[in-house]
Amino acid sequence: MTRFIQTLTDQAKRLATRSPWIYRINAGSCNGCDVECATTACIPRYDVERLGCQYCGSPRHADIVLITGPLTARIKDDVLRVFAEIPEPKVTVAVGVCPISGGIFRESYAVHAPMNQFIPIDVNVPGCPPRPQAIIEGVAEAIAIWRARL
Amino acid sequence: MQPYAYPLAVLLFPGGLFALVLGLALKGVDRRLAARLQRRVGPPLAQPFFDLVKLAFKRTMVPDIASQPVFLGAPLVGAATMMLAAAMVPIAGVYTPDPALGNLLVLLYLLAIPAVVLMIAGSASGSPFGAIGFSREMALMLAYEGPLVLVVAAIAVRVGHGQGGWASFSLTEIVAYQARHGAFLFDPVMWPALLAFLAFYPANLGIIPFDIPEAETEVLEGPLLEYSGPALGLFKVMSALKSVVVLSLGIALFFPTAPSGVAGLAVQLCKLLLLMLVGVTLVRVSCGRMRIDQAFRFFLKWPLALSLASLVAVVVI
Amino acid sequence: MNILKLFYRNLTQGPSTVAFPFGPAWTPPKLRGRIRFDLPACTGCRACEQVCAPGAIRFDKTPEGLRFMMWHNSCVFCGLCNFYCPTDAIVQSDDWHLAHPTARMYEMAIRELIPYTACSACGTKTLASAPNPVGVEPPFSAEEIEQFRHLCPGCRKKALEERTPNHAPTE
Repeated sequence: MTRFIQTLTDQAKRLATRSPWIYRINAGSCNGCDVECATTACIPRYDVERLGCQYCGSPRHADIVLITGPLTARIKDDVLRVFAEIPEPKVTVAVGVCPISGGIFRESYAVHAPMNQFIPIDVNVPGCPPRPQAIIEGVAEAIAIWRARL
Repeated sequence: MQPYAYPLAVLLFPGGLFALVLGLALKGVDRRLAARLQRRVGPPLAQPFFDLVKLAFKRTMVPDIASQPVFLGAPLVGAATMMLAAAMVPIAGVYTPDPALGNLLVLLYLLAIPAVVLMIAGSASGSPFGAIGFSREMALMLAYEGPLVLVVAAIAVRVGHGQGGWASFSLTEIVAYQARHGAFLFDPVMWPALLAFLAFYPANLGIIPFDIPEAETEVLEGPLLEYSGPALGLFKVMSALKSVVVLSLGIALFFPTAPSGVAGLAVQLCKLLLLMLVGVTLVRVSCGRMRIDQAFRFFLKWPLALSLASLVAVVVI
Repeated sequence: MNILKLFYRNLTQGPSTVAFPFGPAWTPPKLRGRIRFDLPACTGCRACEQVCAPGAIRFDKTPEGLRFMMWHNSCVFCGLCNFYCPTDAIVQSDDWHLAHPTARMYEMAIRELIPYTACSACGTKTLASAPNPVGVEPPFSAEEIEQFRHLCPGCRKKALEERTPNHAPTE
């Protein structure tokens, strides 16, 4: 009986990972990566809805968080607050080099790079900005991690 | 009627489980079709089911400033109401609700409850976006309820006259009347009412161009902003059930002609699909979102005038 | 009723979505992706380090030699290193498969060492880097590059003057 319940839960988890909802946080990005994210989401050419992805407006609905930008000093507290609003289990994807290392803004007094000293980041997608296909690959990596966490 | 018939009708068929599966499948078809109309591949047909399973695994967070019992009770009330409402709509040739259940006036009240639940949810969450969603939902509801009541009144008077009375609000009688005298779809007097009813669909189901209360790009899904996990899932259940109720209500009111038995069920499904394609999918991919004042003015102009015209025509003839 | 025409076209022509996550992706021929570093061709001039805006390229002097380090997680893929490299030791490939889990974050680097060697002519400690080909007529052959690699800067200058007597400064 317990084994039956176990297999049932596993099957349900397998189904659940086919519905990753995506939320974007702009942590002081130059908008380059945001444009690429929007391209990935909106144009028929890449159609992430095929993978069950859906961009959601509210952090409460999110499963996969795409973070862009180097985490500027001004926006740091707000980003941490919004990040805390996202219910578990969640997976964080850093899009672009800024959240990973600070990129071109590294060592600036105005940014708190790298971001993973404040937020646990699971997948990195380097690029300045990364191309949409690379973002989709990053989301695929994130789904694999998410499945283990459910 | 047998004692177990009520729970069976509410929980299994045609309410409850059947309506839920049907509603989610319709939503899947709708998303797929919309994607195809936009030259995309679209999600798998079972995507709404995946979403629901996923939401069951997520944690529900309740905001500090929210009133917890109301916040968590609102989606439950909404989903339960829609389950009950689904058992009230007759399916021609297949299902005839008990006279105590199949009353159009009661159904009208039940149909108002999802909007009320959304308002309560929005204000209980304590979020300013929820409050904006609340006010928009209220304005929109005020706008579309008027024409809806007039459409229903026109039909009730028509059926009542046909039976020598004044007005009949029994859904069973409405279906039976159309079975005898032909469907209202082919009755020119009813065409304005039909148009008004078609305008009511997107407003009640909360889709573009009338998804103003839940506009995710403006008010971040408004009343649903603070919901997560199973509570959000219940709202999804509610909207799936609501789409089935409203669509099959339209079929029962205007075109219930169908053979009996399994064939009747198949015909009903085809009609649902067609109505959803015309009334929901095509509308939603070809329009942009209106402002709340534009929507308000629209409803108090065209659907109101059309439904009033039908009512007057029905009363005079 | 323009929109209906549009719908008809969209339905008949089918989706314009690319196959990508389930199939191969198209890559533009000049896409600037993952950096490739060719150690034997590096002259150790450190021009790439100078022009790298985010500081993704770093040279460190260590007891073993000159250590080259390049980190993709800091690189902005601008292509300046490739442009300024005199020997094309650093080039950008069109490989864009850079997404990785954070656990592999520090594997996204290139670490190479240009070792010290003793000058084959005078015996002083010097870097075994390729000679700078800028302005050298006729260009170096492969054997000459290997020969120059084991010379110190002073001896390289002398060898270069001997190699091109016509271009040597005359009194």
